[in-house]
Amino acid sequence: MLNEAALIDSAAAGSAAAGAARTKISVKTLDFFYRGYHALKNVNLDIPERQITAIIGPSGCGKSTLLRVFNRIYSVYAGLEATGHVLLDGEDILDPRYSLNRLRTRVGMVFQKAVPFPLSVYENVAFGLRHHIRLSRGQMEDRVEKALREAALWDEVKDKLHSSGLGLSGGQQQRLCIARAVALRPQVLLLDEPTSALDPIATGRIEQLLSDLQRDYTIVIVTHNMQQAARVSTYTAYMYLGEMVEFGTTAELFTRPQHRKTEDYITGRFG
Amino acid sequence: MQSPRPLIFRRRASNLVSKMLGTAATVFGLSWLTWILIVTLLNGARALSLRIFTDITPPPGSDGGLANALVGSLLMSVLGVLIGAPLGIAAGTYLAEFAERRPVWRETIRFVNDILLSAPSIVLGLFVYTIYVRQVGHFSGIAGGIALGLIVLPVVVRTTDETLRLVPNMMREAALSLGIPRWKVTVQVLYRAALPGILTGILLGLARITGETAPLLFTALNNQFWSSNLDGPTASVPVVIFQFAMSPYDAWHSLAWAGAFVVTMVVLLLSVGARAYLLKNRMDSNA
Repeated sequence: MLNEAALIDSAAAGSAAAGAARTKISVKTLDFFYRGYHALKNVNLDIPERQITAIIGPSGCGKSTLLRVFNRIYSVYAGLEATGHVLLDGEDILDPRYSLNRLRTRVGMVFQKAVPFPLSVYENVAFGLRHHIRLSRGQMEDRVEKALREAALWDEVKDKLHSSGLGLSGGQQQRLCIARAVALRPQVLLLDEPTSALDPIATGRIEQLLSDLQRDYTIVIVTHNMQQAARVSTYTAYMYLGEMVEFGTTAELFTRPQHRKTEDYITGRFG
Repeated sequence: MQSPRPLIFRRRASNLVSKMLGTAATVFGLSWLTWILIVTLLNGARALSLRIFTDITPPPGSDGGLANALVGSLLMSVLGVLIGAPLGIAAGTYLAEFAERRPVWRETIRFVNDILLSAPSIVLGLFVYTIYVRQVGHFSGIAGGIALGLIVLPVVVRTTDETLRLVPNMMREAALSLGIPRWKVTVQVLYRAALPGILTGILLGLARITGETAPLLFTALNNQFWSSNLDGPTASVPVVIFQFAMSPYDAWHSLAWAGAFVVTMVVLLLSVGARAYLLKNRMDSNA
């Protein structure tokens, strides 16, 4: 059950932080087809810059699908198709002329399960950098340290930078994945249920980290956990059966939902 | 309503019967293997001496060793792995990573590869005889190596394909979402994750060709003398065993036993080693 008092408190704090933010990603009439299945239906959404936007909704509502459009990772697979427009700083990333390389250095992603590469902690972070820019050894060390500090992991791994990333705990691995993504200095950070495999303490650390990161990054987080959305986000989008039902500040959405479906979901009547 | 007791007895009885049948089947199968191993080890150990490794195969009536056959086997096996492993890794990688958009084509290749995997090895020998030995006009160690390579190939294709498919998709997506191109993701991330499996495949392929006789009969033939020229007929341990075991001479018989012993030990060590290596890596990655 939701703890209503805490919910309203944090939601109120969220609404205070929500100024008139600039739009970072603008989704216009987006449809998505998964081998003929209509997974996203005419989705429209403006994601504000340097804020945390949560996408919530029951399983299969298309929230992960929407997230995976934002860096076109879906295009790895055959038979998946997105139509419509997704504007990143005004440029349509669904336009085939928009280079994937450029898109993915601007939009980083963290997945449900922490998947460190089978490399050392240091190399996990340096891997992406090495591909995109040529740096001296010293510069590289600086960038790696900075990324690990940003991910609030540096103090825990500074003495084992060269041992395997697979040897870290689950929560540390997930922060390593965040470090790996922020090392490229993206503008947007996508997180697909990043704490669903973590214990409450590790989850708390990641949530704290996200609220620190929103100063520099536009963050979009998909979560199953409504309390989490209420705790960390400033804006929340509620999706149901591939449609964007409601989008607004987290405070509004959780205290005065405009739609019956949203209310049913956030009060736990279904979902 | 009947009491449940008879049901329990019936279950216990059928459990006991199936356990006994299962155990009996296992013992039956393993006993033959044990018998073969014991006979090979006893006879082989008796015939074993240092001369096996220093002297070449003797003419009838005199003493000798298997040095030329051991070296020939080693060279041809290495050649077979050098031919089969790179091709197999490339093909397995294609199947697992790059054929997603052509599923029919991909499944066809997998099916054909499985046929090659179970093709009688003598057929592969005859194939190489036709396309290589007949063209160059003479038997050679190279032809033997090619035939062995054709045996290694499908083993490596299959293990590479399977171990790459075991790498979680999220790892591919994580690397791709850093803007790294597919080929680089495959070579620098996925190969590293799949390395134990791929190496195991190569070792199992090597273990298989070490004892192969049939594909060498039509390709490398045999050579009674010392030869380091792979472009000529080359001796190999399995073919020497085949030839010596069928002869009427006692000295040749005991050399054949010694050869059987050496080959069995090498294959055993390779298989056990490959599996132990794989197991260790699985446990490490689970830890």
